[in-house]
Amino acid sequence: MIVALSAFLAAGVRLGVPLVLAALGEMVSERAGVLNIGLEGSIIAGALGSVLGAMATGSPALGILIGAAAGLLVGLAFAVPVVWLNTDQIITGTAVTLLGLGGTAAVYTARFGATGAQLDVPQLDRLRIPVLADIPVIGPALFDVAPTVYLTFALAPLLGWFLFRTEWGLEVRAVGEDPDAAAAAGLPVRRLRFGAALFGTLLAGLAGAHLALAYAGTFTENMSAGRGFIAIAVVVLGRWRPWGVLVAGLFFGAADALQYLLQTLGWDIGYQLFLALPYILTLAALGGWIGRARAPAALGLPWPRTH
Amino acid sequence: MTDREVRAAVRIRGLRRTFGSVVALDDARLEVRAGEVHALVGENGAGKTTLLSVLAGHLRPDAGEVEVDGASVFGAGRARGWSTRDAWNRGVGMVHQHFALVPRLTGEENLSLGVRRARSGWALPTDWVRERVHRIRAETGLEVDLSRQVEALSIGERQRLEIVKVLLRDPRILVLDEPTAVLAPSEVEGLLTLLRRLAGEGRAVLLVAHKLDEVLRVADRITVLRNGRTVLEADRAAVTARSVAEAMVGDAEALDAPQRTTVEPGEVRARWLGRTDGVDLELRAGEIVGIAGVEGNGQRELARALAGRETAAGPGGSGGAPGRIHLPDRVAYVPQDRGREGLIGSFDLAENVALGHHADPDVRGGPGGAFLRWNALVARTREMIHTFGIRTSGSRATAASLSGGNQQRLVVARELHGSPELVVAENPTRGLDVAGARFVHDQLHRLRRAKHAPAIVLVSTDLDEVLALSDRVFTIVRGRLTEVPEAERTREGVGARMLEAGEGRAARAGEGTS
Repeated sequence: MIVALSAFLAAGVRLGVPLVLAALGEMVSERAGVLNIGLEGSIIAGALGSVLGAMATGSPALGILIGAAAGLLVGLAFAVPVVWLNTDQIITGTAVTLLGLGGTAAVYTARFGATGAQLDVPQLDRLRIPVLADIPVIGPALFDVAPTVYLTFALAPLLGWFLFRTEWGLEVRAVGEDPDAAAAAGLPVRRLRFGAALFGTLLAGLAGAHLALAYAGTFTENMSAGRGFIAIAVVVLGRWRPWGVLVAGLFFGAADALQYLLQTLGWDIGYQLFLALPYILTLAALGGWIGRARAPAALGLPWPRTH
Repeated sequence: MTDREVRAAVRIRGLRRTFGSVVALDDARLEVRAGEVHALVGENGAGKTTLLSVLAGHLRPDAGEVEVDGASVFGAGRARGWSTRDAWNRGVGMVHQHFALVPRLTGEENLSLGVRRARSGWALPTDWVRERVHRIRAETGLEVDLSRQVEALSIGERQRLEIVKVLLRDPRILVLDEPTAVLAPSEVEGLLTLLRRLAGEGRAVLLVAHKLDEVLRVADRITVLRNGRTVLEADRAAVTARSVAEAMVGDAEALDAPQRTTVEPGEVRARWLGRTDGVDLELRAGEIVGIAGVEGNGQRELARALAGRETAAGPGGSGGAPGRIHLPDRVAYVPQDRGREGLIGSFDLAENVALGHHADPDVRGGPGGAFLRWNALVARTREMIHTFGIRTSGSRATAASLSGGNQQRLVVARELHGSPELVVAENPTRGLDVAGARFVHDQLHRLRRAKHAPAIVLVSTDLDEVLALSDRVFTIVRGRLTEVPEAERTREGVGARMLEAGEGRAARAGEGTS
């Protein structure tokens, strides 16, 4: 039982961390008013980029960085038209997702063939923190994990400080709430939105890199498996706040991991139902049943507005 | 003359700006001097907003010269861009009509936005802002709430915050666009006193307004715009209210307001039973009931409930008293925000008329009346354009292409068509010029005297309007309706009643922050 619970927690963290990473990025982007449906494209690009990078350099750490850069690169394809040309955020984001999924599949096939041979990818090793990792049940799940997991946990308070305690954070929030008022105060609305959106895709790329090098150990087509979209739900459930997003992302991960736990325990119940639980909670959050979840007022709207 | 040129804070000459075929500004002239309160007046569409937009760096003129603080901004050999930031840097501070505040940020956060952008990026300028706010309070008496979110502040509090936000940057030229439109009478007094004090400190104050009596009380000099041209530039002492109004309108006849006549009230048309204080508001045919109040005291909820747009027993909103309500079948509603609630801008005029008339059997056809007869609707729209004098290219023009005054005419025409039993008009003349406002007032009067007169409710923040038109006057304060006795129906009397509970609330908020 203890073993199963420990494995469940570890799986929950493993499945939750990519969601949290992508969702923290999306949170910053949405705080600035940019709804990036193209997150999925950045995640899958991050995954492929990290694998190619790690294989080319032999260093998983460099692979992670290259993956993040790949996410950013795809993010440019989203942020440039959306912020500077005022294209529709939903349509552009959808196009970028399809571009990311299709493009990575094409590159993968061209590089490794259609058969999907087992790749020999340098893995991102776990970093074991002595003593803490020996704590029963939670130790292995939290303190014997990939460095990207620690980074994720550190990002939540860091982004909280950034958004609510720095001038840049204030400006990001202002352009997401009321770009006209922000512009009247002399803020460069588009540059701020561009920066926030790109930061979001950088983290999405990092999420993909984590997925490939620390979680799966390889790249497969479509391996992002809708995480970009789930991350958007995570932002809502986390109420656009860093700690909320962290908890919500881990909760989504735990719901995902529950199926493994139930299977291990040999319980024959519809574990698929549990996969729906986070979404039900997200809807509840949107509907105002759990506290107040208010999106940034200018979320998804182009600026300057034309009539 | 030389002395005067040296002290001109803003000098604009021959300013011209067109939008497509519409000439917004044509040979506009303006000179604002340091140390004076200068009033810029004119009707809607006279070009005031365009002129301010040029000054604030939002718009580029087609031709003309603009000098700010002695330096040329536009004009001979000067084609350089003039941005919002340039305007700030030159000391032009603009208090916008629609406040440029972010509703979900606190007062302090709003004041911190952009003030020191060149200097930092990480550290919030909190200490700097607090120190400056403290100094501004000491110098001007302006109290602002720093800790609460702007959306929780009253309109007056927001305006003070907006003014402080501009003063933080120490402008030499302070521009205020229609600042008194949203304030209660006593708040207006405070603002006008403040403007005098700011001018006394050597700043140039440019006040854009349409209420002449306020302008005449505070201004040192006046510039009147009409159809994009400067038609009058004069010292305050050299003009009268009448001469300024004539310059604005260009037609003395349009100025005389209709007289109120007394009528015998008819049957009861609608009834509002306020639950909190038991006020029983009966609306009778042929009677105009005026409801005055400072914005945000529940009059919006009351108006919407009377118009059947909100269930009366629903959430009271901002202090609105829930209650039971009996409404007639045919209710006409002239909402306050015609752009957002009254019309759909991208629809044409006939389509806008169809909204609300769609259930009228006269415009329905086909088996069981399943279809709209657009021919009938277009004919009806044309008739409205004709009778109500709506200036437009035709029934197929979009509502957004109409000027504000003509939009309001369209809404009024649509709503008053047929014979409504109850008319609810909410700030029906806000933002309209003299002719437009007079038109709306005339229509309300015509209805009141009509054979099958409806009951009319006029909800307005404009005291003069309420006093001039109403047979009975109520004030609404924090959702409570109180009837004003005949003897107290003066600006001062009603104004004092409007503020009774509001002052208490402001005082408590002040304690909370200090």
